[in-house]
Amino acid sequence: MSKINPLFFALGIPVVVIFILVAVVVPRMGGGGKFADLTPFSAESYRKDWATLQGNAYRLDCQVEQQLAFVEGRGRVLAVKPIEKDSARTTGRIPIFVPVSAGDSFEVGQRFKCKLRVSHDLLVVEGLERF
Amino acid sequence: MRNLFLSCFGWCAMAVLGVAQAPPPGASVSGGGGGDFKSSTAEGGADRIFNVNSDSVDMENGTMQWKGSTMNLGNSRAVRARFERYLAAPADAGDLKRYIAMMEQINALLSPANINQENYYRNQQEAFNLLFKAAEFDVDANNCLTIATQVQKIWTMKSEFRQIEITKNQLETLRKVQEGIIVNRADMIEEANDARSQVATKAKPLGKSSSGTTELAYKVKDEARTQAEILAKNAEMTALGLKAKIEFQSQMVSFLMARRYRHSMITSAFYRVLFKGGSQNIVVGAKEVKEFFPISDFVPTLESFDMLSREAIKDVSKGMLTVDDLVKQGELYSAFERLQETFFLGEFEPVVMAYPQEKKREMLMLWKDLRELQRLGDEHDLANVEGYVNKVRGRARDFPGAPILSKVTNAMNASNMSLLSAKSAAITGDTAKAEAALERAAKIWPQNPGVKEFAIQVVNRQDTLAQKIPEFDRLMTESKWREIFNKKLEYALALAQDKERSEKLRKVVNRVGELDANIQKANMLASQNNPYLAWDVIVETYKNESDDLVLAKTRSDIAPLVANYAQLIGMAEKLEKDGAEAAALAAWLSAQDLNPASPACGAAVKRLAKSVAENAVVKAAGAVPAPPSASAGDDVPVPAKK
Repeated sequence: MSKINPLFFALGIPVVVIFILVAVVVPRMGGGGKFADLTPFSAESYRKDWATLQGNAYRLDCQVEQQLAFVEGRGRVLAVKPIEKDSARTTGRIPIFVPVSAGDSFEVGQRFKCKLRVSHDLLVVEGLERF
Repeated sequence: MRNLFLSCFGWCAMAVLGVAQAPPPGASVSGGGGGDFKSSTAEGGADRIFNVNSDSVDMENGTMQWKGSTMNLGNSRAVRARFERYLAAPADAGDLKRYIAMMEQINALLSPANINQENYYRNQQEAFNLLFKAAEFDVDANNCLTIATQVQKIWTMKSEFRQIEITKNQLETLRKVQEGIIVNRADMIEEANDARSQVATKAKPLGKSSSGTTELAYKVKDEARTQAEILAKNAEMTALGLKAKIEFQSQMVSFLMARRYRHSMITSAFYRVLFKGGSQNIVVGAKEVKEFFPISDFVPTLESFDMLSREAIKDVSKGMLTVDDLVKQGELYSAFERLQETFFLGEFEPVVMAYPQEKKREMLMLWKDLRELQRLGDEHDLANVEGYVNKVRGRARDFPGAPILSKVTNAMNASNMSLLSAKSAAITGDTAKAEAALERAAKIWPQNPGVKEFAIQVVNRQDTLAQKIPEFDRLMTESKWREIFNKKLEYALALAQDKERSEKLRKVVNRVGELDANIQKANMLASQNNPYLAWDVIVETYKNESDDLVLAKTRSDIAPLVANYAQLIGMAEKLEKDGAEAAALAAWLSAQDLNPASPACGAAVKRLAKSVAENAVVKAAGAVPAPPSASAGDDVPVPAKK
């Protein structure tokens, strides 16, 4: 017969699970991840005046809508839809350039976390993570 | 009369059929322009040739056909005037029955059935006296006095004849006495000569051989003169008889040809009584009478005159009965035709002269309407013919107006078709053909309003040409396509002969036509709640036709509906122009989000995406700035870290 009170197991296990969940999921839900340290990209600001964003790097959570162009050895231009935290707020598509060095495959509907750099007016993907 | 109007519009049928054919014998060349009645048509002509019982009046030539023979009524105007005067005049007054009875009594007194040796002179005298009584009637027009004068002249001639006969007898007696004296004198001279020759042979030579020969010669001369006088008297008697005969027969023929049938018969009856059997042959008017009897060996006699007169009187009586019956039936037009024929056959017959005035008045009104209708036909005033045909129909329900109206309609159509042909030829620049077609149209229907209108257009065309060509050139220089398009028909007519300008006009018309089609398409899309696509059409069209006012108006109408879309496109175009292709692509994508079906957006996105992909590495390589450092201290804003 164990000396540990069974009640301890009954309450302890859920608490541990909850703790683990809080420790693992919440940071993800909060937009963190690989590029958590980057500022989220504002499509509105870009459309309004891209010049003020020149040279900056941003984090963009997006969903692939369409591949607009692909040039062998150079890369591709994708039309992506930014994923907003506020689902009621919708943002239109924006074009991003994925250099060939990114070496990933893209399908419509895939979601990515990207590190973008505003190069002149072009949004160049410097890193990305599928989620 | 029906045939009058058929012939009146004969030209219509010719125009419609387009067949040039020679007019039938006897037909009016002008197509019935002048009152040619049955006789004017080929049909009527055939009737006259083959049917001697056919009667017809030819107003044009002033003649009348009766029993295959032509009676001259005088010139056409006088004939019309006489008939019109008859219709307008009141009926002749007087006891016509008594007049007719008197005329018949004169005939009876002189008829072979009633005259004999006993009453020979008495009947003549009674008939002669009745002539003066008959002459008192208005309807007689004193023609009986003419007969009486003629008879009186014959009686005087007879008296002279008797006087000549006496003189001739006396001369013959004288001649016989003279002849006896000559014979007696000759005998005496011969005896004296014989006695003298016996004495001369016995005793001495012959002396004076004869005496009394001079007296004998004078006596012979006297006798010859008497003989000549007798012969002269004989010749005088013959001439007198012939003169009397010719004068009387002339009067008889005159009465017949003047359609004074009753007077002709009375003259004939007197002639028969006054002249002996040897003078009963016809000398005057034989040729005219023969025409009434189409028999090759026909020998006209006094009885031929009588027969013609009686036939005419009978026909006139029957004709007037028919007229009266037709009027009672309400068939005024047929009654009018029959009255016309009967009038010209028996104008001076009492039954014609006594026809009631109120009935004649009705026919006068009809006659005037028919004359007016005929005038309209002569002048080819087709537009007014229908109204008059209906007017005449209202007056005479049996008037055959349908064929006339049919021919009028055909003529109008023919004229309009010719006019159309003239217009087509004018547009293609075939002036000769246009003139010929216009002339044909005007000939068929001179008052065709289309002809007048077209003529004015043709006259004004030269002026228009002088104005339109410089105006067209100016508008072309100023690129005012819409203004040219709005006057395209005027310019087309004015520039028909100028191939170069016509080609320019054609291009302008096509251009504006296409522009209008696009504007219409944009309007339709906007009305179907699809303003973004409408805007695409407008924007695309506007690139080439930015000066067009209609397009500008449509653009301003649609712009408020697509303000954001238009703004995005405007911004995209500006960014592209400034070299910011990626930003332009972003703007085009936003616009495409609003209008996914937009071909313009699709094309722009495709074009810019390719360009961005091709130039991206260069841009990225050259433009990626160095990572910001705290010591750099540049003005580039660093986004706040989360």
